[in-house]
Amino acid sequence: MADHIYKEPVLTLRDISMQFGGEVILRDISLNVLNVVRPGVNQGQVVGFYGRSGIGKSVLCRIIAGLLPPTTGTVLVADPQRPVCPGDVGFVQQRYPLFNHRTLLDNLLVAAGRKHLPAEAKARAEDFLTRFDLAPHRRKYPTMLSGGQRQRAAIAQQLLCSEHLIILDEPFSGLDIAMIDEVKKIIMEVTTSDELNTVVIVSHDLATTTAISDTLWLLGPERDAAGQCIAGATISKKHQYNLAEMGLAWQHGIQARPEFVQLIEHLKEEIRKT
Amino acid sequence: MLKDLFIPNAKPRPSVFLTMVAVQILLLLLLWLFYPLQLFPTLGEVITAFKDLVTTQGLIQELWASLTTALGALAIATVLALAISYLTALPFFRPIAYAASKMRYLTLTGLTFFMALMVSSGHQVKLSVLIFGATVYLVTGMTSVILTTTQEEMDHARTLGMSEWRSFYEVVVLGKLDEMLEVVRQNFAIIWTMITLVETLYQSEGGIGLLLYKQNRYLHLAGVVAIQLVILATGALQDYVFEFLRRMFFPYSALTTAK
Repeated sequence: MADHIYKEPVLTLRDISMQFGGEVILRDISLNVLNVVRPGVNQGQVVGFYGRSGIGKSVLCRIIAGLLPPTTGTVLVADPQRPVCPGDVGFVQQRYPLFNHRTLLDNLLVAAGRKHLPAEAKARAEDFLTRFDLAPHRRKYPTMLSGGQRQRAAIAQQLLCSEHLIILDEPFSGLDIAMIDEVKKIIMEVTTSDELNTVVIVSHDLATTTAISDTLWLLGPERDAAGQCIAGATISKKHQYNLAEMGLAWQHGIQARPEFVQLIEHLKEEIRKT
Repeated sequence: MLKDLFIPNAKPRPSVFLTMVAVQILLLLLLWLFYPLQLFPTLGEVITAFKDLVTTQGLIQELWASLTTALGALAIATVLALAISYLTALPFFRPIAYAASKMRYLTLTGLTFFMALMVSSGHQVKLSVLIFGATVYLVTGMTSVILTTTQEEMDHARTLGMSEWRSFYEVVVLGKLDEMLEVVRQNFAIIWTMITLVETLYQSEGGIGLLLYKQNRYLHLAGVVAIQLVILATGALQDYVFEFLRRMFFPYSALTTAK
């Protein structure tokens, strides 16, 4: 019996293109993330999303989150699939924004209150405070929190009101090794708490992100037959990596395996080429 | 400890800092007392003039009259300016906010004449000029605060499923209320500048501006300095009250300030 099977799509990008002032930023991006099912495990999806700085990753993230309508194409989410609306997809931006005028508990309550009645919202907010090890800081304002606490709070806030999808923009940036382990733990907890939970990690930290992902996307420009870059970045078929099929997903100590090291070198080379 | 006072960005102990301020004020007073400038009234003359202003010319009552008028004008101007500034969320109202902001270049003398044609009593002229003057300055400051809203802040609210109006309310209205209070505090000084001028133009209402004008007219320099010092002290007290209100209602506000 296969150790995993794929079921319904949880995220679909269909023919996404984006132009700003006539300049093509993204073009022809079509892909989907399927619900992966593993026997005996509540297995969500983790997508590592790479690309050079300024290539359009943030633009694509905003499109996926429903914050920016693409010039052409559609983003579909949920089951049954429907066009994305703001609020469907959680988006934790690089600086972990929170409402600075609200306490930590209020930040979570305002998010939980979007989907639940007050009593249930309170219970969920309290639960998340405990799960994310933030309970002692409930009365603090965001500016009083450390970087790690702020990040956990931002993730918790998005999880409280988004559907099953969440985008993390540079979650490992500027963190020490202990904090990186902590963030990885949170991501694993999120993706194993619900079968449909899906985390897209935008990162430049290839080794850390690839180690916890089951799918990789690499955004970059393609070249034509003459070797010239085609305007607009895309995620071509050859830059969509299914790590589960490659036997490189969901394994402890994966980073020590030679195939993993080779994959990282290959990714670096591909990124350099773009 | 003392050397902290001369190190950039140092944080001297509060007791050291307060002692330093007291010593500086004392030095200033001693200089004034023992080395008076030829044209400037002496400390003794100013104190005598202050006593005379309080006992025979009703300085406290005039100050109170001006202060209540100023506070009333500020309250109305704040509501108007907030409404105009918040309406900039709708493109239709942006030209109005832009025009309101530019109207701060209009001269007060021209305005009072225009206002006198529109309203009946001297008090209303005074009040309407102050409201107008304060509103245009407040709109300028408030729209600047609104313009500091980042894409990231708005996106954050939207990703929580908030509608455009709810996002605006959460990020701009609630999120920047402390900064709006700061704009009001900063612009309160403008009202004091205007009120003294307007009271001079409309003398029937009295006020500290008229008192100042009379002292100027009769070359009572000691009286002029005494009134200016009273206005200065009132302004300093106002600033303190605003700061207190900010700390009380927006405790998060001071957390991001460099100390």
